[in-house]
Amino acid sequence: MNLPLRKELRSPLRYADYSLGLVAILLSAIGIALNYSSTWRVLEFNGQDPLTYAKRQILFVVLGIAVMIAATFLDYRLYRDFANQAYLLVMLALVGVLFFGVERNGARAWYELPGLTFQIQPAEFAKVAVVVALAAFVANHDGHLRLVTLSNAYLMLAVPLGLIYLQPDLGTMLVFVAIGMGVLLVSGAQLKHIVVTSLIGVIVVIGVFNSDNLGGPALLRQTQEQRLTAFLDPDFDIQGASYNINQSQIAIGAGGIRGQGWLQGTQTNLNLVPEQETDFIFTALGEEFGFIGVSVLLLLYAYMLARIWFITRSSNDLFGTFACVGALSMFTFQIFQNVGMTMGIMPITGIPLPFLSHGGSSTVVAFGLIGLVINISARRHIA
Amino acid sequence: MNDQLSRRLAFLGVLIVGLFAALFTRAWYLQVLTNEELAEKAFLNHVEIVVTQPTRGRILDRHGVVMADNKRTGVITVNQSRYAPGQVDYVLGQLSDLIDIPVAVLGSRLKDQQTHPLAAKVVASGLDEYGLLRVAEQSLPGVEAKWVMSRVYPQNEIGAHVIGYVGAMSQGQEDRLLKEGYLPSERVGKSGIEQIFETDLHGHPGRTELEVDSTGRVHRIVSQTTPEPGSDIYLTIDADLQAATESYLRQGLIAARKTVSEDSGFFYPAIGGAAVVMDLRNGDVLAMASHPTYDPNWLVGGITTLEYQSVFENPYAPGALNNRAVQGLYSPGSVFKLVTALAGLEARLISPRAAYYDIGYFQIPEKYGCTGRCTFYNADKAPLGVVDLSSAITRSSDAYFYKVAHDLYWIRGEEQWAIQDMAQLLGFGSQTGVQLPFEKSGRVGDGEIKQALFEANPEAYNPYGESVQWLPGDNINTGIGQGFVSVTPIQLANAYATFANGGTLFSPNIVESVVSRTETQFGSSVIDFEPRIQRLAEFPEGSGVVREGLHGVSSKARRGTAWRAFEGYDSGGYAIAGKTGTAQAEGRNPVLQRKKEDSAVFVAWAPRHDPRYVVAVVMEEAGFGGEAAAPVARRIFEALRAYEQRWPDPQVAFIAPQPECPEIPEALRGYEAFTSYVPEGCPWGIQVPRANSPEDVDGDGIPDLEERDQ
Repeated sequence: MNLPLRKELRSPLRYADYSLGLVAILLSAIGIALNYSSTWRVLEFNGQDPLTYAKRQILFVVLGIAVMIAATFLDYRLYRDFANQAYLLVMLALVGVLFFGVERNGARAWYELPGLTFQIQPAEFAKVAVVVALAAFVANHDGHLRLVTLSNAYLMLAVPLGLIYLQPDLGTMLVFVAIGMGVLLVSGAQLKHIVVTSLIGVIVVIGVFNSDNLGGPALLRQTQEQRLTAFLDPDFDIQGASYNINQSQIAIGAGGIRGQGWLQGTQTNLNLVPEQETDFIFTALGEEFGFIGVSVLLLLYAYMLARIWFITRSSNDLFGTFACVGALSMFTFQIFQNVGMTMGIMPITGIPLPFLSHGGSSTVVAFGLIGLVINISARRHIA
Repeated sequence: MNDQLSRRLAFLGVLIVGLFAALFTRAWYLQVLTNEELAEKAFLNHVEIVVTQPTRGRILDRHGVVMADNKRTGVITVNQSRYAPGQVDYVLGQLSDLIDIPVAVLGSRLKDQQTHPLAAKVVASGLDEYGLLRVAEQSLPGVEAKWVMSRVYPQNEIGAHVIGYVGAMSQGQEDRLLKEGYLPSERVGKSGIEQIFETDLHGHPGRTELEVDSTGRVHRIVSQTTPEPGSDIYLTIDADLQAATESYLRQGLIAARKTVSEDSGFFYPAIGGAAVVMDLRNGDVLAMASHPTYDPNWLVGGITTLEYQSVFENPYAPGALNNRAVQGLYSPGSVFKLVTALAGLEARLISPRAAYYDIGYFQIPEKYGCTGRCTFYNADKAPLGVVDLSSAITRSSDAYFYKVAHDLYWIRGEEQWAIQDMAQLLGFGSQTGVQLPFEKSGRVGDGEIKQALFEANPEAYNPYGESVQWLPGDNINTGIGQGFVSVTPIQLANAYATFANGGTLFSPNIVESVVSRTETQFGSSVIDFEPRIQRLAEFPEGSGVVREGLHGVSSKARRGTAWRAFEGYDSGGYAIAGKTGTAQAEGRNPVLQRKKEDSAVFVAWAPRHDPRYVVAVVMEEAGFGGEAAAPVARRIFEALRAYEQRWPDPQVAFIAPQPECPEIPEALRGYEAFTSYVPEGCPWGIQVPRANSPEDVDGDGIPDLEERDQ
């Protein structure tokens, strides 16, 4: 912590992986284009500014880039020291949102700020906090996770999980599970512990699903259960629960190899896929840019994940490694879950696609995490 | 970095690669492998197709009298599939109060078998605005009150069998028609002209493709075509003559029911019949009646089960929906002797003027060695005495034609099947080709057909295990139109028309033209049916004697079999020539449980020497042709004489046969028996040429062009 400031500024940034930042900006540019194409037609039809969503997303992206740059410059090892405070702050925010938040789509997950046209979703920021706090916690134990330490780590995950369950937001909960599993797996939890806890996890999940059948209260909301049923049986309730699954697959499939062309996708234009600009933004890409566009996007994501993976390997301290693993797990899960859901190989959960989905909190958080990873890459040679 | 960390990181990397591989595979599957299917779904997703139904074409008679039209009518439909059990009774009860129709009637209409079981059923029709409003106000579930264009038949039952009717499409038709742009609720032609000309009558539906978003709001019109109305069909039928024909046929049947059969001692059941009137110069059908008949409006406006059963499933008047004129198969009886006579002449087995002694029966001579039946009696075993070919036809001597048919049986070589060949030449045994559906081809039995029938169904055809060989008896029966011969009434009319007009066999036309009603082609003919000549027959030498025999059928002096029916008939210029037939019908009457009575058949043309019209009448189980069928034909001819003035003479498509004027000694000229042989306009002993050719329309022997020059 007592390194000379001059060297600090000069040397690490030579090693920084700027390509990661460029990929993030490229992805969010695609995101803005898709935000526009999936909303302009209906906005125009309603007599509104067709650029409404695109403009807002540009604002979020600019904000995100700023956060990314800020996160790059500050030595990441400082985060380690404030990890616990940040964690506590976000947990408080999660508690607060249950009382002061606004309800949307049946979930109480957003703070509405007076004077602003958008809301803040504390659960998104909780992702960063948990990544950092968990990485710090595990690093403090040098990666030797005995049962007690592991239990503490589980506790760190259980608090946000519980709070988000109360919102409720099943998708975000799953992101936390993914982050936790990724970090704990890599950081050296013993296999038997992982197997046992996984088994317990599976039993708990099954129990939650069937809680009403087992005589207890229904712990899963009906819409969530229907979505899972719809995933397993796409012909179930075509106008209702299966609607999204079928519509998004139709839109993607209609794109063919070359796609309909930007702004030309009829399913996209005519609002036939619900949540088009947020959770289902991938369908707009699939329809308008076809298999070629899908391949380009997936390759960009793959490049991003590959860079993070290499940075993880080359990082010099455990905190950096585990923070990278946390980010890697989070991005991987969100990408796979979101894209998989639009193509019908994963059940529908409300998880945004990083950099593409319309939304302030998720965009800023994604940029922040990329900033953190660049930060780690820059300082990988510092002992 | 320790080993464990490195290994687990590697595992994470592999996992990520695997997940991305899954995403790529899925994208490939959706966008490349199933792309077409999903693109189709995407199209249907955002494009709403609005189909505007075209107006159905009308059906009109030759003078433009409308026989099938469209009118706006209010209907109430009930969609049964929307109800839980029991609910329907409540809804029907409510409806019944509103529109004053008993629940039982509504219920039975709901069970209508004519439409698809899941389709909404019409339970009431012909409602006015207020009626519709009263129902609409209640907004009962599954009940719809709406205006529809409905088919209406202004002439009611007149021409019902010719025109046909429209009804809900059958499940078989549905797949095909829906692809052609029909709506599932649409009614399509089910029989008659409505069926045959369905495509022309229907027109082309208009189609508007609208681009809509998820909430159904219209963003733009993708494409739009306006509907093209269906074409009008003009028939060759004269509606008044058709009405007259139907009414005479019905009256004839009613009269027959008041007559006692000598065979059984019961009244004749006279369950049905058919009459065909044709212009033998070009094959136009002028009237075509079939009894029992129905009002096609019943079938369009929804009908209760009881109503349906009483008309269409009435055992005393079976087959009301069938057009007996083209679908009814009958033994022709003596009417068929025309064929036998011509066949005998063709084979040179008949010397026309040779005397034959009719002793009331014909016995196969012993030298031929007889198998099966050997003695064949006249209809009432009455001996007619000395006859020649002419009087054998006039008086309908069975024995004479038994002998001809028997002699023909023993001919070998080309003329072995002379009767059957002649029948085919006159159009028997094959469809005439009139523009009506379900036409039967009938049958002219020969050895092969007999064998096939016997072997296919020995119980029905050969209960006593007779020989499957074609026996002399079979040929003898065929010779008088019994046994293995069955014909349709229109075939009879067409065959006699062919003989009368000198050998031109037409495919009868019942449709004159199909006239477009589209904006661009309004009033122009899409199809004009010209006279369709099937073939030209040449009749053997001596057929003049056959003609002479047919001329005598209405003559009392010549003891023609129909003389009573034509007693007092004003024959001036409109004398008839024809043949009666009294055909034994096979089998038993299923309702009365006794042997079927004979069918009465009569075919004739008029005027005798300038043939223009042919009339065929067949009446099932109605007795003698001369007594039951001939009076019907007589009244039709009387009507024809009046109506004939209303249409122009057709372009003659053939050269009329030259009448032969026989030499008659002066001493005999006062006797009807002799004068009836002489064509009109024949001065005694002087032959007047009558060339009814296109160059000489008035037939005075001088070409018209030359006349004008003079």
